Amino acid sequence: MAGKNNIAADSKELALKKQSRMSLIRAALPIVGLVVVFLVFNILTGGGLWASRSLVLNQVYVTMISATGVFFIMTMGGLDFSQGSILGIASIVVCLLSGVNMGLAVVGGIVAGAAIGAINGFFYVNRKIKSFIVTICTMFLFRGFIKYMASNSPVAADMKVYDYDTTALKLGLTLAVLIIGYVAFRYTKFGVYLKAIGAGEKAAKFAGIRTDRMKFLIYVLAGAITGLAAFVNIAKNGSATANVGNQLETQILIALVLGGMPISGGAKVRFENVVVGALLYTVLNNGLTMMGLTTQAMQLIQGVVFLIFVAIFADRESLSVIK
Amino acid sequence: MSEIRLQVQDVCKTFGITKALNHVSFDINKGEVHALIGENGSGKSTLTNSLTGIYQKDSGKFILDGNEIHPKNQVEANNEGVSIIVQELGTLDGLTVAENIFLGHEERFVKMGIKNTNAMNREANELLKQYGFDRIKASDMVESYNFEDRKLVEIVKATYFDPKIVVIDETTTALSQEGREELYKQMNSIRDKGNTVIFISHDLPEVLRMSDTITVLRDGIYIDTVKSADIDEEGLKKLMVGREVTGHYYRADYGEKISDEVVMSVKNVSVPGQIHDINFDLHKGEILGFGGLSESGMHEIGKACFGASFDREGSVTLADGTEINDIPTAIRHSIAYTSKDRDNESIVLNQSIRENICLPSLDELANKMHLLSDKKLKDFANEHAAAMSTKMQSVEQFVSDLSGGNKQKVVLARWIGKDSDILVLDSPTRGIDIKVKQDIYQLMDRMRKEGKSIIMISEELMELIGMCDRIIIMKDGAISSELMRDPEMDENYLIASMV
Repeated sequence: MAGKNNIAADSKELALKKQSRMSLIRAALPIVGLVVVFLVFNILTGGGLWASRSLVLNQVYVTMISATGVFFIMTMGGLDFSQGSILGIASIVVCLLSGVNMGLAVVGGIVAGAAIGAINGFFYVNRKIKSFIVTICTMFLFRGFIKYMASNSPVAADMKVYDYDTTALKLGLTLAVLIIGYVAFRYTKFGVYLKAIGAGEKAAKFAGIRTDRMKFLIYVLAGAITGLAAFVNIAKNGSATANVGNQLETQILIALVLGGMPISGGAKVRFENVVVGALLYTVLNNGLTMMGLTTQAMQLIQGVVFLIFVAIFADRESLSVIK
Repeated sequence: MSEIRLQVQDVCKTFGITKALNHVSFDINKGEVHALIGENGSGKSTLTNSLTGIYQKDSGKFILDGNEIHPKNQVEANNEGVSIIVQELGTLDGLTVAENIFLGHEERFVKMGIKNTNAMNREANELLKQYGFDRIKASDMVESYNFEDRKLVEIVKATYFDPKIVVIDETTTALSQEGREELYKQMNSIRDKGNTVIFISHDLPEVLRMSDTITVLRDGIYIDTVKSADIDEEGLKKLMVGREVTGHYYRADYGEKISDEVVMSVKNVSVPGQIHDINFDLHKGEILGFGGLSESGMHEIGKACFGASFDREGSVTLADGTEINDIPTAIRHSIAYTSKDRDNESIVLNQSIRENICLPSLDELANKMHLLSDKKLKDFANEHAAAMSTKMQSVEQFVSDLSGGNKQKVVLARWIGKDSDILVLDSPTRGIDIKVKQDIYQLMDRMRKEGKSIIMISEELMELIGMCDRIIIMKDGAISSELMRDPEMDENYLIASMV
C-alpha cells in the first residue's frame, strides 16, 4: 500500500516536472526568438540591422506604447481592433491643436483617444456586444472620419512639432508608460483584478470586483494611451495622412502574441509580453524589409508566424473533472 | 444469480499529473445494483466514464460477458449494451425530447436518407407512457422542461433498450425526493430483469438501502468489494477514508440560547420570478438554515443577502444601518458568500490558489502606497490554505487542478482570510466527501462560537438538522415554516412543509 502510494507520488512529481518544463519553454520562447531573429538578420544583412538600429527603434515606440493598453484589454479577455483608427483620429487632433499649444495638443490627443475608448467601452459593457464586434465597427467608423479629414491633403502639424522628435523624448515617454504599466500591473490590485476578470468574470464579480466599471475604464485607458502614442507618431511624421495608424491593431495583436501572450488573456499573461513582443515584431519586420522582401511576401510570412505563435500560446488547459 | 457481467481488469487512467485510476480490478455481477463509492477524486466517475466511452482509458481491460469492449463514445457504448446517466445535465438543448432519447440511434427511423419524425415521436411517446412519464411530450423541445423532468428523459434514454449495464453517476443529488423515488423504481426494475446497475452516490444511507454490493475506491486505488448486508455506514466510512472517523459529525450541543443581537435584517425582499416578500433576522453567533426544493427560491436568498441579486426589491440591513445593495459593499461590511455554483461563481478556476485566496483582501494586504508584495500575498495564502488543510502542491497551483472538496476549502480560506463576520454558505458541502464535510462542519461550529453568524442554505436536510439553530423552510419562493433546533426533529416533518 505504501509502495503504491510512493509510485503514485513519483509519477505525479514527474508529470509536474514535465508540466513546469513546458511552461518554462513557453516563457523562454519569445525571448530566445527575439535573440535568434536578431542574430540571424544581422548575419544575413551583414550587420545592416544593427547599423540602422536607431531607425528600427524609431518604429518601436508607437507600437509599444499602444500595445500596453491593448495588453490590459486582452488580459481581461477582450480585444480591440479600433486601435489604428484611435491613433489616426488622435493624430489628427494633435496636428490641429499643435498650432495653438503643444501641451494642449498632447492632452487633446489623449482625450480624443479616451473618448473613442469610451464609445467602445459603452457598447461592450452597457449594450453587451462582444468586444471584437464593437471595435471592428468603431474601426470602420473612425477610419471613415480619417479618410474624410485627410483624403484631399494630409493634415499637417505645426513645424514646432519636429522639436519634439528626439530620441530622449520618445524613449522617455515609452519607458514611462512601460514602467507605470508594469508597476500597476504587477504590484497593485489593478493587475490581479484584470487577470481575475480574464480568467473568470463571474467569479471575479462575486469576489467583489466591480467588473463592468473596470471593463469600461480599461477601454478608456487603452484609448488614452494610444492617444498619447499619437503625439509620438506626429512628432515623428509631422502630418496625418488618410492612412495614419492603418493596421496598427493587427501589428499590436501580432506583437503581443509574438511576445507570448495567450490570446484569451487570464492568469498566464506577463507584462514582459508587451516589451518582447513589440521588439520581436519590429525586428522581424525590418529584417525582412532589409532582405529585400516585397510587402506581399512579408504579409504572408507574418501570417504564418502569427498562426504558429497563436497555436503555441493558446491556453487550452484541459479542464477534465476527476471525481 | 451471481454470474459475472463485467470484469474490470487492471484499468489505469491519468489526467496530467493525477493518477485517477491506478491498476483497478474487480468484478460486477448480473442482476445486481453495484454501488461505487469513495471520496472526491477517488476515481469513481473516471472509471464509469472510461467504461462508457466518455474518456479513453490508458491501459487495462473491460470484459463484458466474456468479450472485451472498448467503446470510443457513448453511442458505441450503447451498442455494446452499456449506458450512463450523468451527474449534470445530459440532454441537449435545441433538440426535441424524442431526438434526445434516440440520439445516435436515429437510423431506425431513417428511410432513403429522410428521418420519419412522426414515427420517432410516436415511439418516444409510447416509451414515456410505459415509464409513466405521460406529462412529457416527445415532440416538445427538451429545454421547455425543468431539470427534474429532463433527468426523467435521460432515464428513458439510458434504459429503454434494456442495456446490460446502466451507470447512474451521482444523479440523485440533483433530484427531489419524488424524482429519486422514480429513479429507485427504475433501478429495481433493471435489476429484476437480470441486468446490472452501477450506482455512484455520496449518500451512504442511500447506497446501503439501494445496492446489493459495494465497491470502495480511494485515490484511484481499488480498496474492497463488500455485500451491503454485511456492512454499516461507519464501516463504509472507514473503508473510504482509510481510518476511523472519530468525533462528532455534526455539532453536538442542544438547547443553547440564541443571542438577541440582530446582525442582519432582511425586510420585504422580493426578486421577480424567484422569491417574494421574505422577512427574517439573523442573530449573532447563530447558524440559520434554509431548506427546501432546489427551485424553492432558497438559493436566491443567499444571493440577495450578498447584494448579488439582479432586480431585488426590499432591504437587507446590517446592525449599523448599512444597506447591502451590491457585492463590494457586502464584502466591505464583512459578509462572505459561497455559491452553489462553485466553479463559476465562488472561484476563478484558471487562476492560482494564491490569487484566489487574496482576491477580496487585496486592500488590506497593500501597503500605504497601494503596492502589493509577492511574499506577503504568498504568506497570506499559505497561512489560510494550511489552516484549512488544503491538499495542494503549492499556492501557485491553479485551482482547476484541485478536487471539489479542496476547491471548497480554497473558497472558505478566502473568506476566513477576510475575517468575515456574516457567512452566507450556499450548499457548502455539495459533492464533497465525508472527511472534508466533517472539517467544514467543525469549522462552522468554531466560527459560531467565535460569534460569527452563518446562513446555511442546503438541499441536504440531515446537515440542516444537524448544524442549525433555526431552520427556515422555503416553498414556491416564500417562507413556509420555521423550526428551532431540536434533537427530536424529523426529516419527514421538514419534507412535508417543503412540498
